[in-house]
Amino acid sequence: MLPLTAAALAVLAALLAWPVPALLGRARWPGRDPLVALVCWQAVGLAGGLSIIGALLVHGLAPWGHSLPEAWWSWVRGELAGDPVRGDHWVTMTLAAVLALELVGVLALSWLRTARARRRHRQLLELVVAPGAEPDTRLLEHPAPVAFCIPGARPLLVLSSGMVAELDEAELAAVVAHERAHLREHHHLYLLPFVAWEAALPVLPAAGRAHAAVRELVEMRADDAALGELGGADPRRTLARAIVAAAGRPGGAEVPGSALAVTGGAVRARVVRLLDPPAPLSVAARTGALLGAGLLLLLPTALLLLPAL
Amino acid sequence: MASLGELERAVMDRLWSADGPVAATELRAGLADRGVALTTVHTVLTRLEQKGFVTHDEARPRRFTARASREDHAAELMHEVLGQAADRQAVLARFVGGVDDDEARLLRELLAGDGR
Repeated sequence: MLPLTAAALAVLAALLAWPVPALLGRARWPGRDPLVALVCWQAVGLAGGLSIIGALLVHGLAPWGHSLPEAWWSWVRGELAGDPVRGDHWVTMTLAAVLALELVGVLALSWLRTARARRRHRQLLELVVAPGAEPDTRLLEHPAPVAFCIPGARPLLVLSSGMVAELDEAELAAVVAHERAHLREHHHLYLLPFVAWEAALPVLPAAGRAHAAVRELVEMRADDAALGELGGADPRRTLARAIVAAAGRPGGAEVPGSALAVTGGAVRARVVRLLDPPAPLSVAARTGALLGAGLLLLLPTALLLLPAL
Repeated sequence: MASLGELERAVMDRLWSADGPVAATELRAGLADRGVALTTVHTVLTRLEQKGFVTHDEARPRRFTARASREDHAAELMHEVLGQAADRQAVLARFVGGVDDDEARLLRELLAGDGR
């Protein structure tokens, strides 16, 4: 029997489904070190999935052995259970299978869907963009000031003519550096699991909160990485000016503002952070956060693999 | 030697500016300065048809038309890019989304206030 292990995993799952994401989402420190915060969010997501599926599985397989690997093996070989198998064991086992399949399935589906959308975007773009000022940039003839990149095997970094007209040279360099950072550090991969899990678990407010937080952190991380590459007197101000200019004139006359307005809070947070940078995390705090993330992953793994308590 | 991508763009440009359906031989004549073979023009047209940007009629020889006008094509593109819902951020990473007028004013004040 593995009752304590299942209970411990269930408690962990409950913590990771609600209070932990709420605390991490509200905390002030992620803005001081977006990369460490991104690692923490990945750990929360992964540990959360592991512990909820693990809790169900451990309870369901309890009659078959004293540790999950042992019970699993004996169940796979079709051995008779050592203890009587009740209805709740079958129910939790089924739930574990359904949940695992849903999470993995939605992740795979999101991956396919984004890959297809990216290919379509690239095809549409390739017919109308002209080479840009830099070898890796493309120019799109359109009055709205937009810049974006499409990640993938053949990444595409696009600036609109409206953006080029709106910004000066230093600001444009800041925009390009920001987008290049997204591509170089594969930020779309950080986002993908959270996109998928928000779709898989729409009833879980933490899933939406985590997705929003990760989106914001990825932008902040790209801002930081861009600053490292920019020269000039005040790269922070240059990047902030570029953000305000591009966000403030969403589409010119051709695009209705309401159709594309995003919540301003995230944009404001980026600008505030650039103009008035918070102190970076101390080495001790960084190490602590990373260790915490590691432990968070280790705990459910250990509970799953070690013999029952 | 022009890349297929460039040729696709050149062919679409010609289809968009043409008045009606265009035969492959006419397209090749238009691309003569690039030294493109007729088979290459057909390859490019086939690729464009597969992507859904071009269709042909049943006349002999076949004549080709762009499915959407240049303006519609650009509009679809911008709709995809600008009308991004939250779940699309993984598809393409936009530098910054647009904000409403009040928020834009607030941002400009923030920028101006910092300079003082």
